[in-house]
Amino acid sequence: MKTDAAVQKSTESKKKNSFKRSSRQRAKASLFAQGEPMIWLTGGGLVVSLMMIAGLMTLIVINGINTLWPKPVDLFVTYDNKPYMGEITRVEHFNPAKSELHQHQEKVNSDAVAYFEKHNGIAKRMLVRTGNFDLSGEHYNWVNEYDVREHTTPEQACVVERTSWGRFYGFPSAFLYNGEVIAQDDNQIWETFNKHHKEVRKRWRTQRKLETHEIGKINFYEEKERLKLREKELKFGIESEQWNTQNDHFKSFHARSQSAYEDIRTEINSLKEENDKYKIRFTTADNKEKIIPLADIVRMYPANSLTFFDRMNIYLSRWHEFLFDEPREANSEGGVFPAIFGTVVMTVIMSLAVVPFGVMAALYLREYAKGGLVVSTIRISINNLAGVPSIVFGVFGLGFFCYMVGASIDDIFFAARLPNPTFGKGGILWASMTLALMTLPVVIVATEEALSAVPNSMREGSYACGAGKWQTIWRIVLPRAMPGIMTGMILAMARGAGEVAPLMLVGAVKLAPELPVDGMFPFVHLERSFMHLGFHIYDLGFQSQNSEAAKPMVFTTTLLLITIVFILNMLAVKLRRKLRKKFVSAKF
Amino acid sequence: MKKLYAVLSFGMAMTVAATMATAQVKVDPELPEYKPVSGVSGTLKSVGSDTLNNLMTLWSEGFKKIYPNVQIEIEGKGSSTAPPALIEGTSNLGPMSRKMKDKEIDEFEQKFGYKPTSLPTSIDMLAVYVNKDNPIDGMTMPQVDAIFSKSRKLGYAQDITNWGQLGLAEQFANLPISMYGRNAASGTYGYFKEHTLGKGDYKDSVKEQPGSSAVVQGVASDLGGIGYSGIGYKTADVKAIALALDENSEMIPATPEYAYSGDYPLSRFLYIYVNYKPGSEIDPLRREFIKYIFSQQGQSDVVKDGYFPVPADMARQALESVGITPEF
Repeated sequence: MKTDAAVQKSTESKKKNSFKRSSRQRAKASLFAQGEPMIWLTGGGLVVSLMMIAGLMTLIVINGINTLWPKPVDLFVTYDNKPYMGEITRVEHFNPAKSELHQHQEKVNSDAVAYFEKHNGIAKRMLVRTGNFDLSGEHYNWVNEYDVREHTTPEQACVVERTSWGRFYGFPSAFLYNGEVIAQDDNQIWETFNKHHKEVRKRWRTQRKLETHEIGKINFYEEKERLKLREKELKFGIESEQWNTQNDHFKSFHARSQSAYEDIRTEINSLKEENDKYKIRFTTADNKEKIIPLADIVRMYPANSLTFFDRMNIYLSRWHEFLFDEPREANSEGGVFPAIFGTVVMTVIMSLAVVPFGVMAALYLREYAKGGLVVSTIRISINNLAGVPSIVFGVFGLGFFCYMVGASIDDIFFAARLPNPTFGKGGILWASMTLALMTLPVVIVATEEALSAVPNSMREGSYACGAGKWQTIWRIVLPRAMPGIMTGMILAMARGAGEVAPLMLVGAVKLAPELPVDGMFPFVHLERSFMHLGFHIYDLGFQSQNSEAAKPMVFTTTLLLITIVFILNMLAVKLRRKLRKKFVSAKF
Repeated sequence: MKKLYAVLSFGMAMTVAATMATAQVKVDPELPEYKPVSGVSGTLKSVGSDTLNNLMTLWSEGFKKIYPNVQIEIEGKGSSTAPPALIEGTSNLGPMSRKMKDKEIDEFEQKFGYKPTSLPTSIDMLAVYVNKDNPIDGMTMPQVDAIFSKSRKLGYAQDITNWGQLGLAEQFANLPISMYGRNAASGTYGYFKEHTLGKGDYKDSVKEQPGSSAVVQGVASDLGGIGYSGIGYKTADVKAIALALDENSEMIPATPEYAYSGDYPLSRFLYIYVNYKPGSEIDPLRREFIKYIFSQQGQSDVVKDGYFPVPADMARQALESVGITPEF
């Protein structure tokens, strides 16, 4: 989309240049005859649309980039001796009721009234991310400035990003190994932490790998055997001869995989045991103690004594996590890799499906069909199709692809898995097909335009040389129309990648860390549900439990989605440019 | 409902007393740690409530840590989507934030010849939220009804459209009330309609939101806002007000102890419905998933998501109802 805007912009500026006249000419003609007001009108239109785009982009970019930057940790102690320690997320000015104020003054004996006289009755309050949800039951707290007795930024205060329960804010008090304190002094703790954290996390990753890959493999093959058995049961009945042999086979297979499983389990357990020895004890601001295993700590840093480079380091490592990790904690933390992958794969499959069909349809309409009532009706219908709300396509996809086509495929090929549906539910294939249908009109219209732009003289020249109709189309018309067809594909991709509503019905889900492409036969699993960045944004924005923490992630994810669409478009544009260059000599 | 609360209060009285001091609810210590078994794999598909959406995700994350190759797909677009998916066979778990309606049960029974089994997995309080700057502390149920409903089935004398009518002064005296609610597919919508509006109709001016979190965010950014959602979605920007059955009864704050005692008028169970033929043996995948839900790990996920865990007695009953012998 952006590239089109750029193209528009350049043509616009060319137009403006052609309007340039000498001042003497201008004096003679009337204002309207010069077209001066029209320049201003069209230019104004451009400026307004550019400003809207720029404004939206700036909002997304600034918010998206800021989210992952490590902020300092503030400690507020109120007059009633409640400590609030955490990162300030938002600051707000408000106008509290007088009655409340006086009550307040009496209760906590602050100098609230004096504060208000000083600030003209407007109070400031801060939303502090206090974390420690497992201890306090709150993620965030509002702190009124007039309640604050003491505001410090303690040097030892530490931010801990954990694998579960969200962030933790506290002071490290001891490093434990095997239950014994091995470091107590602040510097010592950090030293030991830096020494051990990497290896512990490395063990943790090995453990995850064993769990996902090795055990996964065992389970996968065992499931396969189970299905074979079930197939025999469906075909020959239970206790039949074939079933019995298969059953014996299954039993021996099961025993073997069982022992393999036990081996891996022991390995995992020994890794876990080793990791469990390392723990850090923290004291929170309100003097509670909490022991966190080192393996649960994703990242830990002393937020108030970081240099710029430390911050940059943390920032980059957070981006790395965001882009390449799986989501954690009901999608509110961790990364979005499965969603990125799902979005890209879906868009690619969609383009592969929509372009050939769209081009074929357009070719017939433009090159073979005789103009008349039927053809123009078809053209109008195609244009109308482009205006059908996307959710209607979603409903159609669900009814036709999932429930009809998918269910039939299941009945024929995957009967052993029933009642669990394989293709008879939403999946990445059906989602791509639905979006392909939705974007079909765009491709057809763009291709038709491109075909009609190929000069007839070229066709005639081809016929004159003795080429047939199809030869002419294949050798002369199509190559020259290619850039225009690519434009259609770019538009279709941009529309498809950003679409969410129909996907919700045909396969985009909140959590599906299994990628549609992986290392297990048959490698491509088109029946799987998938995660999609657009749906992820919707989910974060409207469904997440800890909505305050999710809000900034919405911007970051949006930024990412726009970037991906931009990259896909750029690739297509580059391809188009290459194609255009090829035929530059053919231009008159 | 009443009967279940009797069971509840039986086991919980002690635990609740112990947890009153800290804000965080504790899981019943009688529940066992989940122990992995082998030979569990396959795909679980869950379609249903969006209130339970996060919780289902947390459970599946925990479960997948133990059984890495189990695939769990979760779709949460409202409780009303659970029964059709269970009947069609497109899902094996149907999380719902309300009980199935008789009609839905009948449809299920017609197809399979037995009723679906409901498992109460956690306890939720449907909180009525107002903006954090709103000074109101509590309301009676007829008042809430008069705000949200045009039928006023609970018999409040007049329509309430203004915060001044609830006795608020200063800037709230003339502030109109703006209502946020859920869309009709939501179980929360149905539950609130049944228990607060006396099955009356919502006003047309209630702004229907696509998710529980959206309701809370709407109220958070609207000084005159009021809305309802599960207690798990509370943020620092909103306040959950106390509720009283009528003007003569006590105001009950939305805190865990009153959910367990059954005093809070809008506490409810969050269910998972399964297709289980009574007397048969449930498949290993669903068996282990259900056992995981009713374990220490599963119930501490409930706490993590802001809901309240079920006591051991209820867990036992739930496990027995799908033919699993509880080992605790």
